[in-house]
Amino acid sequence: MYGWHLKILRVNLTTRKVTTEDVDPKIARDYLGGRGWAIHYMYKEMDPAVDPLSPENMLIFATGPLTATPAPTGNRYMVVTKSPLTGALAHSNSGGEFPTWMKRTGFDLFIFEGKASEPVYVLVNEDQIEVRSAAHVWGKDTHETTDILKGETSAEARVACIGPAGENLALMAAIMNDKHRAAARSGVGAVMGSKNLKAVVAMGNKNPPLHDPEAMRSISVETSKNVGADVKKGSNMRIYGTSYVPQVTNTLGILPTRNFLQGTFEHVHNVDGDALKNQYLIRHTPCYRCPLSCGRLTEVPDGPYKGKGEGPEYETISSLGTGCGVSNLAALVKANYLCNEYGMDTITTGMTIAVAMEMYEKGYISEDVVGMPLKFGDHDAMIEMIKLMAYNKGFGKDLAQGSYRLAEKYGHPELAVTTRKQEFPGYDPRGSQGMGLLYATSNKGASHMEGDVAYEEVFGVPVKENPLTTEGKPELVKHFEDSFALMDSSGVCVFVGIRYMFNKDRMILPKILSEMMNLATGAGYTSEEAMQAADRVYTLERMFLIKAGSGPEWDVLPYRMLNEPLPDGPAKGRVVELDKMLPEFYEKRGWDEKGYPTQKKLMELGLPLN
Amino acid sequence: MMIRVKMIANYRDALPAGHKHGVIELDVPDGATVFDAVSRFDIPLNDESVIVLNGLTVDLNTPLQEGDTVTAFSAIAGG
Repeated sequence: MYGWHLKILRVNLTTRKVTTEDVDPKIARDYLGGRGWAIHYMYKEMDPAVDPLSPENMLIFATGPLTATPAPTGNRYMVVTKSPLTGALAHSNSGGEFPTWMKRTGFDLFIFEGKASEPVYVLVNEDQIEVRSAAHVWGKDTHETTDILKGETSAEARVACIGPAGENLALMAAIMNDKHRAAARSGVGAVMGSKNLKAVVAMGNKNPPLHDPEAMRSISVETSKNVGADVKKGSNMRIYGTSYVPQVTNTLGILPTRNFLQGTFEHVHNVDGDALKNQYLIRHTPCYRCPLSCGRLTEVPDGPYKGKGEGPEYETISSLGTGCGVSNLAALVKANYLCNEYGMDTITTGMTIAVAMEMYEKGYISEDVVGMPLKFGDHDAMIEMIKLMAYNKGFGKDLAQGSYRLAEKYGHPELAVTTRKQEFPGYDPRGSQGMGLLYATSNKGASHMEGDVAYEEVFGVPVKENPLTTEGKPELVKHFEDSFALMDSSGVCVFVGIRYMFNKDRMILPKILSEMMNLATGAGYTSEEAMQAADRVYTLERMFLIKAGSGPEWDVLPYRMLNEPLPDGPAKGRVVELDKMLPEFYEKRGWDEKGYPTQKKLMELGLPLN
Repeated sequence: MMIRVKMIANYRDALPAGHKHGVIELDVPDGATVFDAVSRFDIPLNDESVIVLNGLTVDLNTPLQEGDTVTAFSAIAGG
């Protein structure tokens, strides 16, 4: 077989037994790879009702058929597990270099089960698979851990690991790879920590053989040329990475500000892409073989926030920055570095601190509880809170549970801006209605990466949709959800996928992606088959959610989004009109009026009927 | 009448020197449209650009009013 290795590595951490197994080619084709294969195995083998932090939860690292191929941005992997933050599904995506190195071990998937009796790391070097003690790196941050493990294995190895936040089971803990890249959301790092698994070290030379390597190279060259032409014209993604976005969302009045109390930030110029570029940018840094290169190495050269690392990305600016009312860029950059080093999702970290700030200002939590004043805009208090969260100390114990549990504990759940208990990313849906529907129904709780219709509502890619209307949004959300499931399963990055494959014919993405998967695997997908496979993946995930107790009753939005109109900006006076969109969305997905996939739909997709 | 034109990120290069955070004041004749305002600058006037009036999605033939802000940025996926 081509493209896929059709090999799974399974490590039982309780018994330290390592097994390898083959993947049925029909399953491979039907579920695409990556995210799709992972949900197939989780749904088949695991009770969705398990405690996410128990040994019974499965932790899956999953590459796709285009990972480690010349396909443009074919360098992504997904971490799939049951989320301790949401109780729903976690599928967090990352790039960097680790995904390609992982695929070159000769395995498509790593499945970790059970719980080690003491801290361990797993080395996978093709047929050399070892569960080793991690006692000497337990407690160390992600950068130190990466350096030490590369030092004792090989400079050619790549490392994915957790930091103190994952060890301490903070529900916003991320899995960091190549130091600066994160499978960030939904607490995947806490699951890794609960298994006493500190790190995974991957290396090897088993590039997947390709069905038509010549044609694959041609597509790669052609796409790189197109990207190169964009860059020559002055691509924002190359110049700024995602840090140019605060100006866009601020203009549209949907920039999360002070825990979504506002949609515009008066100090946006202090934390936007130009400020970052002019003050702290060193150079752009690509993921492996990426022609776009949206990452950026930055440095705060001196002062109290001195440090060096990558980012911040837009989502970090809109959470730890504007979300907390913070306008001190050096402190914001430092906060980002700390999250990377401690291994934390910046969105949930920032928006949890933001809700704490609102509760403090309203007198719902006292200075005695917090240990210090915690007003919006207090960047030093924000940095202190990050440290307390990572190390589970003092008020950090409450913060480490995320904003939903924090607000509920202190009697004000209405202040938590979450769905399925996961914090909103950087698009206020009161001024971006399609995003509201996406957040309410996403299989992983609020996330733009589940089907980012902001591309059309905000960024005009491939066409500009009016963000304030609800008409047509149910179909748009479904299309984006399936498109993202397809990209996440195939192993490419959504930035290149969206920017360079979409055009006004929305089926161009599945057409090009299915062509590339065919060149890699020889599976012979049509565009329609590829999209149906993505629908299969999405629907099976929904079935997992229903069995996990996170079904349709959780397709709701938080109080603020439905009852408190935006006070300022172009979307002033608006709330999310979810009721206008949800029934049509269920219908478009082939689910019944209550939000359950119909038997007809399950049969059509070849999914289990119960 | 006076309006404001705001250019975001790389589109700021299309503005004359002296703009503040990508914003300039512009004197346009009564009856001028969104298209009239942005066509003074060297940016693509097609699907490659997103152009909004006071943050709202509008037809480019919409007439301007005193104090309006027209904003333009390159259509590209972000966030």
